[in-house]
Amino acid sequence: MKNGYVQFVGTAKSFGPVDVVRKTDLGLDRNSLVVFLGPSGCGKTTLMRMVGGLDEPSSGSILLGGEKVVGPDRRRGMVFQSYSSFPWLTVEKNIAFGMRYRKDLGVAEKAERMRHYLELFGLADFAGSYPNRISGGMRQRVAIARTLAAGSDVLLMDEPFGALDALTRERLQVELRQIQIREEKTIIFVTHDVEEAVFLADRIILFSRRPASVVADIDVAAELGPQRPLEIRETQKFFELRNKVLHLIRNETGAIV
Amino acid sequence: MPAAVSDGRCFDHPGIAILFSSLFVFRGRASPMAESAVSVAAAALIVAGWELAARAGVIAPQFLPSPSRVVIALWTMLTEQNLVWHVVVSTARVWIAFLLAAAMAIPIGIMMSSYRIVGAALEPMIDFIRYLPVPALVPLSIIWFGVGEETKIFLLWLGTFFQLVLLVADDMRRVPQEFVEVARTVGATSRQVMTDVALRWMGPTLIDNLRITLGWCWTYLIIAEIVAADSGIGYVIWTARRFVKTPEVMAGVVVIGLIGLVTDQLLRLLHRRLFRYL
Repeated sequence: MKNGYVQFVGTAKSFGPVDVVRKTDLGLDRNSLVVFLGPSGCGKTTLMRMVGGLDEPSSGSILLGGEKVVGPDRRRGMVFQSYSSFPWLTVEKNIAFGMRYRKDLGVAEKAERMRHYLELFGLADFAGSYPNRISGGMRQRVAIARTLAAGSDVLLMDEPFGALDALTRERLQVELRQIQIREEKTIIFVTHDVEEAVFLADRIILFSRRPASVVADIDVAAELGPQRPLEIRETQKFFELRNKVLHLIRNETGAIV
Repeated sequence: MPAAVSDGRCFDHPGIAILFSSLFVFRGRASPMAESAVSVAAAALIVAGWELAARAGVIAPQFLPSPSRVVIALWTMLTEQNLVWHVVVSTARVWIAFLLAAAMAIPIGIMMSSYRIVGAALEPMIDFIRYLPVPALVPLSIIWFGVGEETKIFLLWLGTFFQLVLLVADDMRRVPQEFVEVARTVGATSRQVMTDVALRWMGPTLIDNLRITLGWCWTYLIIAEIVAADSGIGYVIWTARRFVKTPEVMAGVVVIGLIGLVTDQLLRLLHRRLFRYL
């Protein structure tokens, strides 16, 4: 998996005297969902932000399709946990914001894409609503739709479902997995929730405590396959995998997530 | 027989008793109607008490004239002493200085929080000037600008600009980093982040801050008009004081209060209209 679409080449990051990410070499495949799992504040988010061009590596570099990442652009979109959608824009305009700076799309094309994503995320009935009138789950759907509308190839998701209730969270996990397969996107998903990681991931990269370094690389797709219906959570394989990851975390990182 | 008679409630309108009893519940909610009724009644009670105290001669009229005498004074000032003209002059002074301060404070405040070089250069200076009391600068202002309009505008500007610029800088600093980064990752330039995200996010607090600083502007106006003016409400009040025309002094104060109230309500309305999404 070394010659992946997203490549970390000796990437390291420190903020002043504090080492946040130790020298990392890692390749992530295109059209796959990779979960960065690790204890809170371990530096996994920083690693992901560097893919987005929002933080700069202190040494080494990050390649996207063989090209060095310098600064943010719309090929890599962010989805945050909070402040994910603009409160002053309606659902429709929030999604349109993703296409706002695209000069390559005509008005008709933008409208078509808008319709597509409103439908895809079941947001059509809320098109004219402001974010404070819709549920937290809906707001996260808006954020993902906006990123896809922008035409991002890589989605960088920073604990996007962290603030949602359990049921909404499950539903969004199922949807995200389906959308990832359907839209053929590469997703880096940061979380500290083991269940979520195993359910969503093609591959889990487990990080140590700060400074982050890779302690395990788990091929989840080989065990669970690409399709993730909700029932998969009740299978023996899922349990075993989850327990394996939990053990790894306890043994390798010495941390309680 | 209805049981309502015996429990002491108003039999004809049992609703009214319930409406008002909820006013006495700890942290309770009352209907807006009941609350307005209480507000009006309380104000009326104060005015009535004042009128009675004045008429009974408890306090000498040159100290506390009755409300009716204040209203009469107000009427005379309106019809015979060109009060409207003075109000217009004062309002114009406030708005010119205020708009000038806002037009400078908004871009400078935004730049202070956007680019460290601007912030580092200006913040200590502005912080220092902000603590200088405006009245202390009146003599200097008169030496610089004389006693004309420039002095008044300068003093009002001085009192608002340095406060507002720091408030704006603070608002800009509080724009969530997430919003900025989302915009950057969909292809916005720094300038577009500023206009399409930061300014939009700041909107509601900016209007609030403008509303508050406009109020301060009126405070400084009276100081400026008392010191050096031959027009404006401050001048009217100060002149009336010289002849111990207490009703006129009070009428002048009431006029300022009314202008403040009206302006504030208008700006609140604007706030609600502009930011329906809140």
